[in-house]
Amino acid sequence: MNIAELSLVLLGISVLAGVLGSLLGLGGGFVIVPVLTLVFHLDIRLAIGTSIVAVAATSSAGAARNVSESITNLRVATFLAMATTIGAVTGALLSGVFDARFLFGLFGVVLGLSGLQMLRKRPGRPAEEPGPASGGTIRAPLDWVTAAGGTVPSVAAMGVSRNVVAPAGGGGGLADRLALHSAYYDRAEGSEVPYVVAHTGLGLALMYMAGTVSGLLGIGSGVLKVPAMDLAMHIPMKVSTATSNLLIGLTAAASAVVYFARGDIDPLIAGPVAIGVLLGATQGSKLLLGIRSDRLRVLFVIVLLVVAAQMLWKGIG
Amino acid sequence: MAPGARGYGALTPPSPHGVRAAVGRVLRVGVIASAALLVGGYLVGIVSDPATFGSVALERAHLSARASFPHSLAAVWGGIGRGSGEAIIVAGVLLLILTPVAGLVTSAVAFARRRDFLFSAISAAVLTVILGSFLIGWLTP
Repeated sequence: MNIAELSLVLLGISVLAGVLGSLLGLGGGFVIVPVLTLVFHLDIRLAIGTSIVAVAATSSAGAARNVSESITNLRVATFLAMATTIGAVTGALLSGVFDARFLFGLFGVVLGLSGLQMLRKRPGRPAEEPGPASGGTIRAPLDWVTAAGGTVPSVAAMGVSRNVVAPAGGGGGLADRLALHSAYYDRAEGSEVPYVVAHTGLGLALMYMAGTVSGLLGIGSGVLKVPAMDLAMHIPMKVSTATSNLLIGLTAAASAVVYFARGDIDPLIAGPVAIGVLLGATQGSKLLLGIRSDRLRVLFVIVLLVVAAQMLWKGIG
Repeated sequence: MAPGARGYGALTPPSPHGVRAAVGRVLRVGVIASAALLVGGYLVGIVSDPATFGSVALERAHLSARASFPHSLAAVWGGIGRGSGEAIIVAGVLLLILTPVAGLVTSAVAFARRRDFLFSAISAAVLTVILGSFLIGWLTP
């Protein structure tokens, strides 16, 4: 295979990785690394260096649209980035301390379980995704936060009829003080979806762990960040993937310099991949605006289970 | 004003439209500029260095114990001076990596201009961690 053919194949694979990555808030490494190593028999070092470039491309191209469209929650991303970047540094410093195979196995299991958890509808979560059956537009009264006087507004005030457990553990208070709650316009539903961010402290801790794992294992940690925002912080699925998309770019930047200085970024491989991912991620972020949240969730869980299987395989193999 | 921000005055002082727009603009510029370098570098390489750009690159990737392509700022800068396609592509890659960081700088400034000093400080703290890790990366290759 000559370089022109190779470049075309790389381009095609990277467009796919970019679409999935920006749609799901992942770096696309789960597509790129196996293809480069298993199909092209590329050195794992260069494959990981390439996948870091793919993460940066997915993140920038995706966030360029989603930040402006306010699907990305910039405040949540900035706040959580403290934890993910410090975690990434911790992970890089700790690398070699733990047995990588054990870690891969462990996180394969963790991912699998979070995937299954995400498939279940959480009891007591705000109806972020009213299906066609429930249908109604959620309209928050303008003063619903100020009326609550700094506490978490009761979700009943949002006109959500379902039973909702108020966020426990004080995270809600922190989210109030940081003004993390927001709303986004969901094109699939044709309405604005307000949401309340819960368990901010827990989210921060999980993000630190996600960052550490990505630093330790050299994997993109979007697969851990999205479930943390979705399951723990009760952030709507679309906002979770878009916010994760911005976060992974910042985490990747922190480690990409190491890969560059080590000579792990080969321009003839990373170049075509970056171009393909930019094209794909631009399309993926467009798709994100229109996709239904429940479909996005199912797609995410499928990819999550694939990644979990990859990690378990590395843990065993 | 973006649709998402309409009508939630108290609820969404969060990321005011101005901050989001500024960050989005910087990200778009970074993406377009790095895409231009990536594509341009490739075209330059095919014209000026067909031996490298037309050969079986993966062989090279296998065999090279130590990378033969530019992987220091000096090498990239020097390569661009010589019109090396590889160096231009690497510059595009580096710009891509730095684009989210540029977005962070923008949000630190934009939050400060809106007197949201807490989030300006948080942005600056994240920036410090990233720059610190750049330093660690550079000093311990």
